[in-house]
Amino acid sequence: MNTTTVSAAPVLHAGQTIRRADRRLGVFMLAPALLYITLLVALPFLLALFLSLTNSSAGSLEFSFVGLQNFKNVVASPVFRRALRNTFVFTFVSQAAVMVLGNVLARALMRPFFGKTLARFVILMPWAAPISLATLGWLWIFDSTFSVINWLLKVVGWLGPGQWYYWLGDTTLGMVAIITIHVWRMLPFSTVILLAGLTSIPNEVREASAIDGAGTLARIFQIEIPMMRPILTVAVLFGVVFTFTDMSVVYLLTRGGPYNSTHVLASLAFQDGVLGGDVGRGAAVAIFLVPVLVVLAIVMLRSSRRAEVV
Amino acid sequence: MQTRRQFVVRGTKLVAVGAVAAAAGPTIFVRDAKADGQLKILQWSHFVPAYDKWFDPWAKEWGAKRGVNVTVDHVGFADVVPRATAEVAAQSGHDVHMFLGLASAFEEHVIDLADVVAALEKKYGKQVELAHRSTYNPFTKKQFALSDMWVPDPGNYHKEVWSKIGMENGPSTYDDLVKAAPEIKKVAPQMQIPIGVGLSQDIDSNMAVRNILWCHGGSIQDKDGNVVLNSPETLRALEYTKKLYSVGMTQAVLSWNAASNNQAFNAQETAYILNSISAYRTAQDNKLPVLANYFFTPALKGPTGTQLASEHVMSGYVVWKFSKSQDLAKELLVALVDASRDSMLGSKLYNFPSFFGAAAEPNTPLNRKQESGAAWIAAQCNKDPFGSTPPDKLALLAKSLPWSTNLGYPGFANPAEGEIFDTYVLTDMFAKAATGALSPKDAMAEASTRAKQIFDKWRQKKMVPGGGKDK
Amino acid sequence: MAARSVARRAAGTVVHRATIVFFLAFAVFPFYWMVVTSFKQNADLYVGATNVAHNPFIFNLPPTLDHLRILFGQTLYLTWLRNTLVVGLLVVSITLLLAVPAGYSLARLTGRWGERLSIGIFLTYLVPSTLLFIPFSRLVSLLGLQNSLWSLVIIYPTFTVPFCTWLLMGFFKGLPKEIEESAMVDGCSRAGAIWRIVLPLAVPGLLTVVIFALTLVIQEFVYSLTFISSVQRMTVSVGVPVALVRGDVYYWGSLMAACLVTSVPIAIVYSFFLDRFIAGFTVGAIK
Repeated sequence: MNTTTVSAAPVLHAGQTIRRADRRLGVFMLAPALLYITLLVALPFLLALFLSLTNSSAGSLEFSFVGLQNFKNVVASPVFRRALRNTFVFTFVSQAAVMVLGNVLARALMRPFFGKTLARFVILMPWAAPISLATLGWLWIFDSTFSVINWLLKVVGWLGPGQWYYWLGDTTLGMVAIITIHVWRMLPFSTVILLAGLTSIPNEVREASAIDGAGTLARIFQIEIPMMRPILTVAVLFGVVFTFTDMSVVYLLTRGGPYNSTHVLASLAFQDGVLGGDVGRGAAVAIFLVPVLVVLAIVMLRSSRRAEVV
Repeated sequence: MQTRRQFVVRGTKLVAVGAVAAAAGPTIFVRDAKADGQLKILQWSHFVPAYDKWFDPWAKEWGAKRGVNVTVDHVGFADVVPRATAEVAAQSGHDVHMFLGLASAFEEHVIDLADVVAALEKKYGKQVELAHRSTYNPFTKKQFALSDMWVPDPGNYHKEVWSKIGMENGPSTYDDLVKAAPEIKKVAPQMQIPIGVGLSQDIDSNMAVRNILWCHGGSIQDKDGNVVLNSPETLRALEYTKKLYSVGMTQAVLSWNAASNNQAFNAQETAYILNSISAYRTAQDNKLPVLANYFFTPALKGPTGTQLASEHVMSGYVVWKFSKSQDLAKELLVALVDASRDSMLGSKLYNFPSFFGAAAEPNTPLNRKQESGAAWIAAQCNKDPFGSTPPDKLALLAKSLPWSTNLGYPGFANPAEGEIFDTYVLTDMFAKAATGALSPKDAMAEASTRAKQIFDKWRQKKMVPGGGKDK
Repeated sequence: MAARSVARRAAGTVVHRATIVFFLAFAVFPFYWMVVTSFKQNADLYVGATNVAHNPFIFNLPPTLDHLRILFGQTLYLTWLRNTLVVGLLVVSITLLLAVPAGYSLARLTGRWGERLSIGIFLTYLVPSTLLFIPFSRLVSLLGLQNSLWSLVIIYPTFTVPFCTWLLMGFFKGLPKEIEESAMVDGCSRAGAIWRIVLPLAVPGLLTVVIFALTLVIQEFVYSLTFISSVQRMTVSVGVPVALVRGDVYYWGSLMAACLVTSVPIAIVYSFFLDRFIAGFTVGAIK
């Protein structure tokens, strides 16, 4: 890019040997991680793919081949199709909410106010809390008998006599509850990233647009958001990855209920494969996660890189 | 902005902490020595915590007498199956694993305990029929597990509320529930859920929906292992549940976990639940206001008078094929049945012996042992040693055997029944029909398809009979 | 005119403060609820929410330390905390050991194929644990590590290493190349330049990775649940539910206390490193 002229000449001079040495060093430095990943992720993954073609039960390695039978059964199952849909719904709705709320919150946090440090600490807490424990906290908040939310709604008169929200007993409310937790948990993370993005926009840009007479909304949508695209992509990418693969929220909160209507692929795979002991079927369910994630990740990585070049 | 130096200092501290941790490591990461005089037991965390305080020292002491080091590990009841899956996959872990009535799915991986049962029957007479049906596969002729205890599943009702509607002894038929629900709403409007029969993905609901199915004449399999879920009887059970749901229940029952019905009853938010006595013991321990009105009733009768309830818990101890201490494990199981009286008292009358004879007075002749044991059990229930008012509150438990049955009724518990239980196929069907998410017919068709898939899979493995007469 | 703009500014401030308060309430509410639950007597706790007269936000009966006493006295909470920390620190060390060189290598030494490889490495983070669970059980037993914390130390890097390698790669790309190059011109070897120049500059990135890996370890529970059976060797996320959810009784008070006591220190550490964290993450992620 802008290598200083002083250093350019010697580097060019020794270029060949350094590069060869570099390549050797590169392989040497990469090898341990690569070896570890190959041994502990790639090989087990292949074994799991293999198991999805068998009728292995309870994790034993005595089985016979059943071909694509597991996949056929899985695809025909309404519970699976529901879980597939839910996985997308949870991910996209929660990420959309996180993006909107995260932008609002990040903008609010940019302005100075009394107690800002404390506020930042508090807002970050959901991200720091281990999700399995935090979900237990939410389970208690959404409890059908003791829900504090319902008490509040009752007191303010939103819920009339005899009216009640069964947060985890209703498909829609259950999905709302799950999405709420995902939003609660991912919001701090995205806010922090967006905050960094906003801070990196030079003040001159804002001032210049103000002089041009651009309104606040126009400024946000025409200047700031395009400028922040790479960083938005990062926030979305991580949000999607964490939400899409997460099974702890569903598993601990609704266990997929009511009537298996709030499962996601990861929790359904756990229910069928580990709790139900049908390893082949569980593997078949989980495998549906993989292509989606691959496509998602590649698309997003590409777009973030392109944005960076522009 | 902090300087780089500060970071370096902090980084150094972090490294120091890491080093300390690594040094502390070896004291934590001690691996168990593999000795022959070693027996490892995996147990659930008992629903009545007092039981663990009895069992753990008991097992240790038993081992100490033989120069054996006994380890007992507890997991939550929902983690019993995942742990077993992991240990089978690993081909190592504990020697003895306790299941809650669903050991059948692991039949391939456990040793035959026929000799243990034979020895016990010689000592104490026959075990109760439902324990036999839960631990023996007649198709493969394998005694895959040993049951030392089972737990009755009575109805729990709120006496004051039911008295106000003129049924001071609680409901006795399923029809009573439907009739009582609107009345309860009138006399106890503060109660959220007049009738609290769970329809969610948890163990209590799994039992409850089976009770409803059986009492209406339906079942998953017939006695020969054919899938007969697709039947007018099932439809009737679903129609009934739909009605009950609309008059007496709320969506709460769709979300319940194993603790919820207890909590709801103990908070006086419901007037009827199906549960073992653990919720009652919790109410006692915490001296909750509900206690004075906490009463029990036997299983409900269906429209044709069928009165059946699934056991609430059926212990199934297995000994893994990979265990290196199999003989020791068998000895322990015999000793555990020998200790049936202590086990029942240790669990505050939650556990009922599977071998009634093991609770007999000492020196009773074999042919009188079952009778004598039953009498001792009845004596405990008639005068609760753990302080009930009135003292015979639990008397009905002593008479619960005739209306208690096993998962898989009218057949035996088998791996397919186990998998249907673990993946909530039935609660799913009932909940969908009750809420109208699907018509009863469609819900039945969906569940029946899944049930047949599961049975077929296990038939291919030659572990489940039937198939010729699937409906 | 001036009065109007003052009014507008005041209105803006009100909206701003209201926004902040709203988000604060959303973030903090579950924690507040944990605190209240942790110190309430059971008789105060288990009152149905239909009872409008019974305000669940306050202590209607005097607060109690019973739940904390159960947590610290009758469970092995402190042991679990220690186990989690030990596993966490070892996993973090392994992660750094593998991911730092790999990240640097992908950023500087491997060219085009390195970039493709980096996407491949990141993708392995996405393989669901439900799929890997069975093969891992085998592996753990082959190594004779069942019911040992070492099993977690070996398995957990399967999700920390891919993620952190990728993160660090981005972070190293963000550092100007000239820094190492000029050091090398001064007679330093590449390795020496990395050790003396690059790593100190990369501290924010490393910190990010440390905190991040630690959080992932603390919240993991599927592997921990299945590979560890002795209660003395459990990690927090498994030990707490096992000991405090007893089938049909949830010890809500003690459970909430455990969630609180575990979460708050991590949150404090996080906030302490917040600025570094932001820097590490964003630089690392977009490059």
